[in-house]
Amino acid sequence: MSAEVVLALLVWGTLVGVDLVSVPQMMIARPLVAGTGAGLLLGDVEMGLRVGVVLELFQFDVLPVGATRYPEYGPATVAGVALAHGIDGVSALGIGAGVGLLLALLGGLSLHVVRTSNGRAVRARTGELEAGDPRTLMRVHAGSMVRDVVRALVVTAAGLGLAWLAIRLGAAALPAPLLVATSIAVCGAALATGSVGLLRIVGRGPNLKWMAAGVVAGLGLVWVL
Amino acid sequence: MGAVKPPLGAAFLRLFTVQGSWNYDRMVGLGIGVAEEPLLRDLRNGPGDGAAYRAAVARGSRFFNSHPYMAGLAVGAVARAEHDGVAPEKIERLRAALIGPLGSLGDRLVWTGWLPLLVGIALTAISLGAGWAAVAAFLGVYNVGHVILRWWALRAGWRAGTDVTSALRHPVLQGALTLVGPAMALAVGCALPLVARWFGWAWAGMPALALLAIAAVGVGALRFAPGFFNGPRLGIAAFAVALLVGALWR
Repeated sequence: MSAEVVLALLVWGTLVGVDLVSVPQMMIARPLVAGTGAGLLLGDVEMGLRVGVVLELFQFDVLPVGATRYPEYGPATVAGVALAHGIDGVSALGIGAGVGLLLALLGGLSLHVVRTSNGRAVRARTGELEAGDPRTLMRVHAGSMVRDVVRALVVTAAGLGLAWLAIRLGAAALPAPLLVATSIAVCGAALATGSVGLLRIVGRGPNLKWMAAGVVAGLGLVWVL
Repeated sequence: MGAVKPPLGAAFLRLFTVQGSWNYDRMVGLGIGVAEEPLLRDLRNGPGDGAAYRAAVARGSRFFNSHPYMAGLAVGAVARAEHDGVAPEKIERLRAALIGPLGSLGDRLVWTGWLPLLVGIALTAISLGAGWAAVAAFLGVYNVGHVILRWWALRAGWRAGTDVTSALRHPVLQGALTLVGPAMALAVGCALPLVARWFGWAWAGMPALALLAIAAVGVGALRFAPGFFNGPRLGIAAFAVALLVGALWR
């Protein structure tokens, strides 16, 4: 990987990280998009799509309502694609997505840290905010967004650093059975998570029969193709 | 309020950062205040050296929570109520009353509707060979709906003011809520078998069967031990076991 590509991945991962909560929530943070973008930057769109689809299914586990805490898959997907690309071959998918899962938990933790830090900044300025000072309001808001940019940058850099380290330590020479086993395991877990996540969203109401119809249609297509 | 030309454009742009200062104390409150502020600037010229403006800015930035795309309804409605001279305690009650409906509506419409519907379609297209074009289409179509919803919410809130519940009963919104759930269930349901096939193409025979077996065991673990397993934990556990098995497999 050239320095330009690493820099581009760092910028992409940061944008993806900021998109999740702060701005503009246009869903580049979705693993599907984050992975494809990383794949395009690396010249390996196929691996970007594959890691993106796997982690997208894990994302079905997340319903970002209220103060729930959840993993952050965007920058993790970028790092996962970089690692899988470095190992090379279809079966590198499992290592990339597996490490991506670990990084997603780290990203989720960093979100909690930033939210707590934002709360401290608000409490420190409560007097001015309650007095209706618009400049303080803007300053606290902008400061929080800067914190999120730094957070996303650090998480992406940590992920890319881990990917680089893994490749330097010989991840590219891992035996084929190990690569296949991890890929099968992570893809299987992703399918399970996606299925249960869908069931949770659909519930026991009338949409259940639409889901069943969809599964039948999907199986029919699998049979025909 | 016909003479007032509210700077809806500035408020609209600021709405994209509504969660920028999300915290456990006020949740999206500060972001709401930031988006509302341009709509309150007329109040600076009022009596008391802008006291009404400052009081409105302070109220606007207090605790609030809603779906980010629906936040514009609260921003528009509250700003309009401030312009209409509605009593502060009534505005506080309006804000409190909007939290539940805006969260629930946005979650049903977007987080469990529009978003997974388009993800399901994109996954289906990718597994049928559409490649990155499916992702680009997902991003484009999703954001058309996203931006329209944000703009509609802000305008509808400003128009309705304290009668904002009438905006929530808009027939297009209610129709979308009726349609999006079944469409999402159908699309994601269809995508799952196709994605399983797409995963499995590289490994024919036993590995493909192992993939399905792990998926089945995973569904059981997530359904019957939800306190212990969630998606990431299941994935990491499967990954760790596979590393061990793969390392021992000679």
